[in-house]
Amino acid sequence: MRINPNMVPDMLSAIQQSQSTLQTALQQVSTGKSVIVPSDNPSASADMVQNTIETADVDQYTQNVSSVLSTVQTADSALSSVVSSLTQAVSLGIEGANGSDSASNQQAIATQVKGILSSVVSQANLSYQGSYVFGGTASTQPPYTADSTSPSGYTYNGNNGVNSVPVGDHMSVQVNVPGSQIFSNSSTDVLGSLSSLVTALQSGNTAAISTATTNISAALNYVSQQRVIYGNTESQLNAQTTYLQQDTVNLASQATSLVGVDMATAATNLTQAETANSAALAAASKVVPLTLLSYLSTPS
Amino acid sequence: MSSINASLSIGMQALEATQGALSATSNNIANADTPGYTREVAQFSENQESVSSSGVNGGGVTLSGLQSVRDELLNLQIQQQTSLQSSVDTQSSTLQQLQSYFSSTGGGDIATALSSFSTNLSQLSATPADSGARQGVLSSAQDLANAFNNTSSGLTSAQSDADGQVTQTVAQINTLTSQIAQLNGQLSQMTATGEDGGTVQDQRDELVQQLSTLTGVAITQSSSGETITTGNGSPLVMGNQSFTLQTATGTNGMQQVLNSTGANITSSLQGGQLGGAIQIRDQVIPGFLSQLNTLASQLTASVNAAQAKGFDSNGNAGQDLFSISTNPSNAAATMSVALTNPALVAASSDGSAGSNGNLANLSATLTNSLPSGQTPAAAFASLVFQVGNSASNATAQSTAIGLNLQQLTDQQGSISAVNTNEEATNLMRYQTAYEAAARIISTIQQLSTVTLNMGTSGGY
Repeated sequence: MRINPNMVPDMLSAIQQSQSTLQTALQQVSTGKSVIVPSDNPSASADMVQNTIETADVDQYTQNVSSVLSTVQTADSALSSVVSSLTQAVSLGIEGANGSDSASNQQAIATQVKGILSSVVSQANLSYQGSYVFGGTASTQPPYTADSTSPSGYTYNGNNGVNSVPVGDHMSVQVNVPGSQIFSNSSTDVLGSLSSLVTALQSGNTAAISTATTNISAALNYVSQQRVIYGNTESQLNAQTTYLQQDTVNLASQATSLVGVDMATAATNLTQAETANSAALAAASKVVPLTLLSYLSTPS
Repeated sequence: MSSINASLSIGMQALEATQGALSATSNNIANADTPGYTREVAQFSENQESVSSSGVNGGGVTLSGLQSVRDELLNLQIQQQTSLQSSVDTQSSTLQQLQSYFSSTGGGDIATALSSFSTNLSQLSATPADSGARQGVLSSAQDLANAFNNTSSGLTSAQSDADGQVTQTVAQINTLTSQIAQLNGQLSQMTATGEDGGTVQDQRDELVQQLSTLTGVAITQSSSGETITTGNGSPLVMGNQSFTLQTATGTNGMQQVLNSTGANITSSLQGGQLGGAIQIRDQVIPGFLSQLNTLASQLTASVNAAQAKGFDSNGNAGQDLFSISTNPSNAAATMSVALTNPALVAASSDGSAGSNGNLANLSATLTNSLPSGQTPAAAFASLVFQVGNSASNATAQSTAIGLNLQQLTDQQGSISAVNTNEEATNLMRYQTAYEAAARIISTIQQLSTVTLNMGTSGGY
């Protein structure tokens, strides 16, 4: 049978094929990716769209956790200092209610309580990163301002709004407790009780001092309870941090299995492709020059 | 007994025939690498023997002609496969270019922009009053709009490239068909006079081969010569007459191909660069574009609806974040961000500047299903899959056809190509034959001398 004498196209196609395999292998080793363009693996590329978005989301959730955590911790420590201030005020009130106490001593205690009041007000007006922590969602202005017309001596400028921040695909945490709920709700009024204790001490009214002290004591319990909300958020955030770390690892490993390469396999492929390529080239260099004419002697 | 002169003339004929064969062999060797060349074989035939009273005498040899060795059926198969391959290759090269718009390796694609929009919304919800975070949302919204614009313009520019290719290819087809018709004329004249029009046929086959890379053709042989039509039967060449194709701008702004009678045959053209370009221009890209436009307009509507549910930093109801053309075929190209003031991002659900309540609604636009039934990410992912799959199919098809074509070409080569070893052998054969024929003549000459000198003193 006659064979195709023209081996060049076949040879060329063999060389091109081995070169293209070599190029692919080289690209996989050098980039560490098996999918560079969607056609390399269409379904993996489609899955990567979701993976890209989820990975970025999880990164952002992680950032949200740390930013929310610092806000919550700031608020919690402010409340903790309010609690200790109130504890101090209660013992001062008990001291002031003691009938044997001198009027001048009561005045001195009143001054101390006044100091406590202003410290509590400053905690209630705490601003963290430019926003007032206890103003509800009206966080751009100080929530408590002095107001002589108000019975407590202060007006609440905030609202009852609560912000929740997403820290997971289906998880949000409450990041604030409005001041109206902590300091000035209908049953307990921190600032009002402190103000009335000051007034009672200044006037030396023992019964009023006792009432005010009892109110402060109730407020103290209430504020302590509100701290639990922050405590819950904190523990939720800590748990979520662990989950998000795990999620990041999962997503990264999913991405690797979708578009990454196994380096050992890739390196082996590269070696094989190199061998195949040099074999094709060597074969070509041997085949092309051979013709009968090389063996016929030139007529002299 | 035959005469010495008869032998001389036989020797003479042998010399001429061998010379012809040698010239065919040299021509084969000379054209060993000429594309489309078909080897020619010298056809010898013995002459009529003469019967005389003294017996039967051989009549010598004649070179009856040169026969080119070709397989028409194989040529036809090669032309068909070539058409298919060049169609697939045309589509593949466009799809390969398009892929960059759907690959997240370089960034700037819609997936990356969607993820950045999502994270910026999430970041803003941690610090709703922060103008930097608000600016971040606007910038990422801008990036998202740009990504839609770029992807759309990538698709439309590939489409208009394909459109340009249609016009160019039609012009090339017309040039080729007129050349083929001319060669057909020559060929039928040669056939009429009994010549083997090998060279002309080679040229014509080569041109038909070129024509089949441009468009799919159907070839029929008839007594009047070769007839070439497009796949759907519009004539291109009939014998020595060629029919030109024309292009005209259609209602969709794209070039339409008209046959010689002015009928629009665009949608029926298949195969070749022309078929490939039309397929990609009228089917593939419009499919992608319409999905992209649907995604752009539905996402815009969904985000704007979420904006309207909330309030901006100033306590006013949220305004549209994205603006888009009302023409659905232009949606992705015209998507833009309508807001420039970061304060107008409607993060608040209660009208106060520090509220982040509405950001959950905005974020939900990215995770909830659009009216298309898919989330924005899933809709884009499905587009990525389709583009990638089309490109990978086109490449795989091209490889498969390439292998088939290689086999056919090998087969054709085994029949028609010049084997220099074979020709070298022929060269030796004809050389020996020539030498032998020459020896006949010199022998006859010596014999004649002897005969003429008979009876003279010189003797032999």
